[in-house]
Amino acid sequence: MRLIRSCCCRFLFVARLQQQRTFIQMRTVLKVVDNSGAKKVMCIQALKANKKGARLGDTIVASVKEAHPNGKVKKGKVVYGVVVRAAMQRGRCDGSEVKFDDNAVVLVDKQGQPIGTRVFGPVPHELRKKKHVKILSLAEHIA
Amino acid sequence: MRLEKCWFCSSTVYPGHGIQFVRNDAKIFRFCRSKCHKNFKMKRNPRKVKWTKAYRRLRGKDMTQDSTFEFERKRNRPERYDRSLTENTLKAIKKIDKVRVEREARHHKNRMKGKSAKEHNEAIKEIDQSTILVKAPSALQQEPSLVKVSQPQLDKNVAMEE
Repeated sequence: MRLIRSCCCRFLFVARLQQQRTFIQMRTVLKVVDNSGAKKVMCIQALKANKKGARLGDTIVASVKEAHPNGKVKKGKVVYGVVVRAAMQRGRCDGSEVKFDDNAVVLVDKQGQPIGTRVFGPVPHELRKKKHVKILSLAEHIA
Repeated sequence: MRLEKCWFCSSTVYPGHGIQFVRNDAKIFRFCRSKCHKNFKMKRNPRKVKWTKAYRRLRGKDMTQDSTFEFERKRNRPERYDRSLTENTLKAIKKIDKVRVEREARHHKNRMKGKSAKEHNEAIKEIDQSTILVKAPSALQQEPSLVKVSQPQLDKNVAMEE
């Protein structure tokens, strides 16, 4: 009996590790990975994306929840952002899939030009398809 | 198209297969199938999982050092264009494959050397040491109580399982 119980515990532990990842939707909090001044934003709308929400490479409207005291973007502002990293896997053009560690966003203006001048961490090459070449050129690593 | 190796089991990841995970420090982990991806998520060490190439290499199960492995390698130097290069490579692949298979077979043969003798010796030892367990049929006929002794023990086991 004890053996069965230990097996169950192990199974639950494994199930907890393998968390189901979902779309970026209303109230998802994302990390901002540029030097625009914002630190954390909350998604309030996914633009022209899937009905369910935004995925890797999609554009969202977000509200700034945390910001540096003297940055370009202030807390409480409504901003546009491109999802450059998503924990939910996304299919690539060859049929394989790619996923990242966290949900991260780069703030852009309405025309799609980045607000900051630097982009931190890896970004996917799919951004080229979405016509965000400027973000790609600023990026440290391209995955 | 580049054929990558799976991070967990070291098998080849063909285009369109598997999943890749990009860590925040931009290290890319490629997996050939969900089995390997799940094992990675469970934080298993490929050196401790028996079916991976890493385990087999570590324990000397597979051939590790061989000149035929030198051909299949990532080279970051651009190759100078040569018309006959592809043709020659394709020809060479067949030959190198044949050599490698032969060498692997030899390695396996060497590894299994003395196995049959060892098994034989162990079997002889078992027969020598465990003859007590075997009751001759004639002994049972003389003493029928020997059969009965084992009966209640069996019943007890059944009760415990219930």
